[in-house]
Amino acid sequence: MIKFDQVTKRYPGSYEVLKNASFTIEAGEFVFVTGHSGAGKSTLLKLIAAIERPSSGTVLIANQNISKLKESAIPFMRRRFGLIFQDHKLLYDRNCFENVVLPLHINGITGPEAAKRVRAALDKVGLLNKEKAMPITLSGGEQQRLAIARAVVSRPSILIADEPTGNLDANYAADIMAIFQAFHQVGVTVIMATHDALNRAAIQNRVLHLDHGTLKQTGTASSEQSTA
Amino acid sequence: MSKNMISTAFNHHRQALKLVLGRMRRNALSTFMISLVIAAALCVPGLFYLGVNHISSFASHIQDENEISVFLKLDADSAAIANVKDALHKNAAIQSVKFVSKDEAWQQLRVKAEKDSASSDVINELKTNPLPDAFLVVAKSSKPEDLDALKVELQSLANVDKVLLNTEWVKRLSALLALGKQIIFIVAGLLAAALLIIISNTVRMQILTQKDEIIVSKLIGATNSFIRKPFLYAGMLYGLFGGLLAIVMLMGIVMLFNQSLAQLSALYNSDFSLALINPKLFAGMVCAAIAIGWLGSYVAVTRAAATININ
Repeated sequence: MIKFDQVTKRYPGSYEVLKNASFTIEAGEFVFVTGHSGAGKSTLLKLIAAIERPSSGTVLIANQNISKLKESAIPFMRRRFGLIFQDHKLLYDRNCFENVVLPLHINGITGPEAAKRVRAALDKVGLLNKEKAMPITLSGGEQQRLAIARAVVSRPSILIADEPTGNLDANYAADIMAIFQAFHQVGVTVIMATHDALNRAAIQNRVLHLDHGTLKQTGTASSEQSTA
Repeated sequence: MSKNMISTAFNHHRQALKLVLGRMRRNALSTFMISLVIAAALCVPGLFYLGVNHISSFASHIQDENEISVFLKLDADSAAIANVKDALHKNAAIQSVKFVSKDEAWQQLRVKAEKDSASSDVINELKTNPLPDAFLVVAKSSKPEDLDALKVELQSLANVDKVLLNTEWVKRLSALLALGKQIIFIVAGLLAAALLIIISNTVRMQILTQKDEIIVSKLIGATNSFIRKPFLYAGMLYGLFGGLLAIVMLMGIVMLFNQSLAQLSALYNSDFSLALINPKLFAGMVCAAIAIGWLGSYVAVTRAAATININ
């Protein structure tokens, strides 16, 4: 489904953020991307989501080469993913409903069909009663749940989350993790960057560990724990 | 294009329009101010056009371009008149001759003056008829050089006091009107450039305030045209509102103008007034404003798209 072959990413005037990374993620996997801050986790996720293009090597998503994709085709590629960011990237001049409906509008879905899907997504993250609330009135955990609702509303097959629990205390973080687990269980591929060892230790999942841009190991969280 | 794609495109347009109208309603005052600026800029060439258009339609009614008035000396007797008449009839360059006696002309003037007390007072005070006998001559040719040659020829006849080429002032007027039309084009061009800059700047400011939204939309797969649409609609709507407001302003100005003109033209015994509704001008103004609005916002969006980067 997602295949990296000797992918290197270099920003202009900077060192190689990602060096010769090769790995494959199959449909329905739950994969953690770990590493210290600056190790290249975000860059790896951006490459998967077609936000960045590799400097060299190939990134294949659903058998399409991202580097060879036309600029005009990129937005349609991006719609395959649900993206969740550490800073939520919510729109604070719109209420919760309007935030979640945005991806549907981009897909040209409006009216009762859109409203039905938005409520379903809000229900999944436990915010159905906050439909009319402005995001600023929500707690940090609720804002992150709202961002998840926006990411899943157009039913993408891949969820990409960049440190979704980074700013949250343990209770909220556990909530968020449970939501991702639930999506994983219904067959959604989940790729999550985190530096939080506690979370991934609790779950038996595959881990892509980055150290200064180099992919160190592709084992499971439990195997990493045992070697540590 | 499949049915689904058409409905998607339609939904995009409807969403963009709804979004923009909502934003405009929330910022009603600033929307009104921008529309007012656009309207004022449209009004200036619009007024020019109305004035020039009216005068040129008035001038085009005058068709006898080859008419020459030949005024005789006041002391010309009937023999002298007959002589002149004879000479005119013999002239090969002349198509027709019509004699207007001094008494006839005097009667015509009095009839006209009766409608207006001020000028009839003046005429009644005159003891004798001050008007000369005259011939209205229509030349065969309407070429300016032929008419000028004929004028000189007639001027040389005995007992002829003055020869007036009726077309001369028409020519001067149409030259002035041509100049007026050029001025309209220049003024309209300059104001269009100013409008383009105003609208483009306004939309650019809006893009900057919507920067987060643009970034998020791009991240979740919005195409450039999806992002551009609301701003293009905003530009076109500013143009539309400005155009409609300009029509209202123009109608108000014409009404005011006609009111004060009514008093003035009553004194001159004429019914000169500007038409209140000019569909051609109004449609042109609104269309031009919408087109400028679209172009201005297109420029702004294209420039901003290059600076807003999601990475």
